[in-house]
Amino acid sequence: MNQLVAPARSLDKSTTPGALFSTLSIPIAILVLVVIGSVASPSFLTVNNLTNVLNANSAVGLIALGMTFVMVSGGLADLSVPANVAMGALVTLGAQESMGTGLAALMGLLVASMGGVVNGILIGYLRINPIIATLGTGSVLLGLSQLLVGGGIVYAQPSALSTFVKSSILGIPVFIWIFIFVALILHPLLARTSFGRWSLAVGGNYQAAQASAVPVRFTKAAAFAMTGFLAGLCGVLLALSNGQARPIIGTGYEFVAITAVVIGGTSVFGGNGSVLRTVGGVLITALIGNLIILLGFPSQATGLITGAIVLGAVGIDAYFRRKAGRL
Amino acid sequence: MTTESTPAVALRMTGITKSFPGVMALQDVDLEINEGEVHAIVGENGAGKSTLMKILAGFYQPDKGEIEVGGRKAIHWTPREARSRGIGMIYQELNLVPDLSVAENISLGAMPTRGPFVDYRAMNAKADAVLRELDTDIDPGTRLGDLSISQQQLVEIAKVVARQPNVVVFDEPTSSLGDKETRVLFDVITKMRDRGIAIIYISHRLQEVMEIGDRVTVLRDGRHIETRDVAGITPDEMVSLMVGRDLNEMFPKFDLGLGEQVLAIEGASRAGQFDNVTLDVRKHEIVGLAGLVGSGRTEVARALFGLDPLEEGTITLAGKVLKIRSPRQAVAAGIALVPEDRKGQGIIPGLSVRENFTLPVITRITNALLIFLGKERKIVTELADRLKVNPPQVERPLNVFSGGNQQKVVLGKWLLSEPKLLILDEPTRGVDVGAKADIHHIIGEFAQDGGGVLMISSELPELLAVCDRIFVLHEGVIAAEISRADATEESVMRAATGQEVAA
Repeated sequence: MNQLVAPARSLDKSTTPGALFSTLSIPIAILVLVVIGSVASPSFLTVNNLTNVLNANSAVGLIALGMTFVMVSGGLADLSVPANVAMGALVTLGAQESMGTGLAALMGLLVASMGGVVNGILIGYLRINPIIATLGTGSVLLGLSQLLVGGGIVYAQPSALSTFVKSSILGIPVFIWIFIFVALILHPLLARTSFGRWSLAVGGNYQAAQASAVPVRFTKAAAFAMTGFLAGLCGVLLALSNGQARPIIGTGYEFVAITAVVIGGTSVFGGNGSVLRTVGGVLITALIGNLIILLGFPSQATGLITGAIVLGAVGIDAYFRRKAGRL
Repeated sequence: MTTESTPAVALRMTGITKSFPGVMALQDVDLEINEGEVHAIVGENGAGKSTLMKILAGFYQPDKGEIEVGGRKAIHWTPREARSRGIGMIYQELNLVPDLSVAENISLGAMPTRGPFVDYRAMNAKADAVLRELDTDIDPGTRLGDLSISQQQLVEIAKVVARQPNVVVFDEPTSSLGDKETRVLFDVITKMRDRGIAIIYISHRLQEVMEIGDRVTVLRDGRHIETRDVAGITPDEMVSLMVGRDLNEMFPKFDLGLGEQVLAIEGASRAGQFDNVTLDVRKHEIVGLAGLVGSGRTEVARALFGLDPLEEGTITLAGKVLKIRSPRQAVAAGIALVPEDRKGQGIIPGLSVRENFTLPVITRITNALLIFLGKERKIVTELADRLKVNPPQVERPLNVFSGGNQQKVVLGKWLLSEPKLLILDEPTRGVDVGAKADIHHIIGEFAQDGGGVLMISSELPELLAVCDRIFVLHEGVIAAEISRADATEESVMRAATGQEVAA
């Protein structure tokens, strides 16, 4: 009968108008933003400005890449992101003196990943609601980090690693390279591997996936472990490049990441989505933030505007789902 | 139950036409339902039954055509208007709130009040009256979730009857009911009819249409084909009107030599579900598992597949004793299950046909890292072709396909895993006759190729036609093992209702 294809997932879907629109909507949106930007301000379309915009959003973009797996597999969202960012950053700087920068950074990654693994166990294996579970682990870990540093600032010592993190290769900052590198690994992980297929299946219908011999608990847990690791990586990078870190270093990053994933068109209800779309979502949120400043709006308006866009995106998704469900 | 004078027309739909983008769903369909008749509507999936009923209920607006209820033309036909003009709908899925009482469910949306408060006394009295009218002994104060499915369905009917409808549509009401519950439902329908309510009865089960219907309308490809008295038509005639061709054999049966044992269950028990169940399936064999709803059929299947592991007893598959604790282990051992609840446990609605097909075997078509997409496409296209998945577009999400085609995909998914034992729980429920024949054909081929099949079905004619042997469960205990030669609807029913105990 009437087929209303819910926001399409992959690019090779049948070419109904809806699917075509959802495939092209991200490039179109980016193009529109670029056009608006170049008209609005002569400084927008410069290599310098665009590089800065991307550089500033790469670290949090890493988290959005992980969050894509959380949402696709029906895990809603990981709210413990700020805590894991803080852990990654503080452990790195705290341990720098005693074990050297490289090992300390690894240590930071490890601790944040552990946070992600705990989330995974709570959500995947013990089946606790993800919002509640990550709210809990987030509070605990953030509290722990505040106890560790007593609410103060930890400063970095100069090191080769932090110099490298702040440098550029071929004119492109290392942050952006890292973001591209991680995206290039995670995109095929979701689109082309068994694990990716499992994630889509678990988010699409948990019970049916379980009955189809999909390792449902592992799949769900892995998404959170991955997000913990990437939040940690974000924290490590920020700490090394800023030369300092505080427990509040990652505050609000969970929402920035969620925004990017949702704007990319991944459904908060699970079952579809792609890493490439999230990359698009990161670009769009980055450009919107930049435009707000260039257009002379107060930067406080950023939350208002991106929030409204997220609500719109979720609303459209829910609308299509309902229509497709009624059929 | 008609009076001597011509019966009054309760509902008249004329020239109803409705198209969706790319599909002509209904074309110039006429339908006339009299007061006090049970009017059956039959047709394959996609014939237009649901669309017609959604128009009647006010969910869709027709492109052309008129609706007349009780002689008055319908204008501004919305769901609310349809309800207030006395159209009641009873769907396959129940629309009830488990945590509310029976009376609250019946009055939901129109609770009697006194001042700002709900008048519980009036509400209970109203519920009691309606339930009494339907001759049930359900207590209005019971929490709905504590009732059995068939009792819940009676509550759903009571909810509709409480609004004093003129026309009530039953859409596949028996698909989740056993034979006994179906009896109760038919009694209720007869009572409603005798009170002058016009009943529209939609079902794929033609035996039921023969039994309960006064007249029958056949739809095919969105067109009205014929309306006839049920007394003057046979099920075979109905089928050929529905498909527009003769299906000479509804259940093709291949003659196969039996092979060695594939499955043996011995002394299997799970407290409160089934007790000391012993049965076996051989190569090339299709074994039926019959029984009323709640007899433990589905529970045995779930235990075999590791969804609810056995508490006692052994499972032997191809000579090896297995401890099955999860579906993953079951699949690894060579067991597949096509579940009863297709929507809940069978399909991943948003994934494509291709992705659904290969889900259990996806790790077998990957190298160390990536899925071989080309190989996957090739396998899937061949399979879709063999199973006659229609339309043959494997990249489309599964939720836009009809129930029969979804079921073919669930079946095909397990064929790809090449199981030794295929368990089927109600494999043709809610599936139209064409797809049903296709599915039986697929099952037959699987057995022919050396697989063993354990099949559960509430439809006795289906079991009798397809199975080589039938085990009958009664209250969780195997009551009989009946060979193909001795199996009749009577012998199976006697065992299923506990009137005959296995020797």
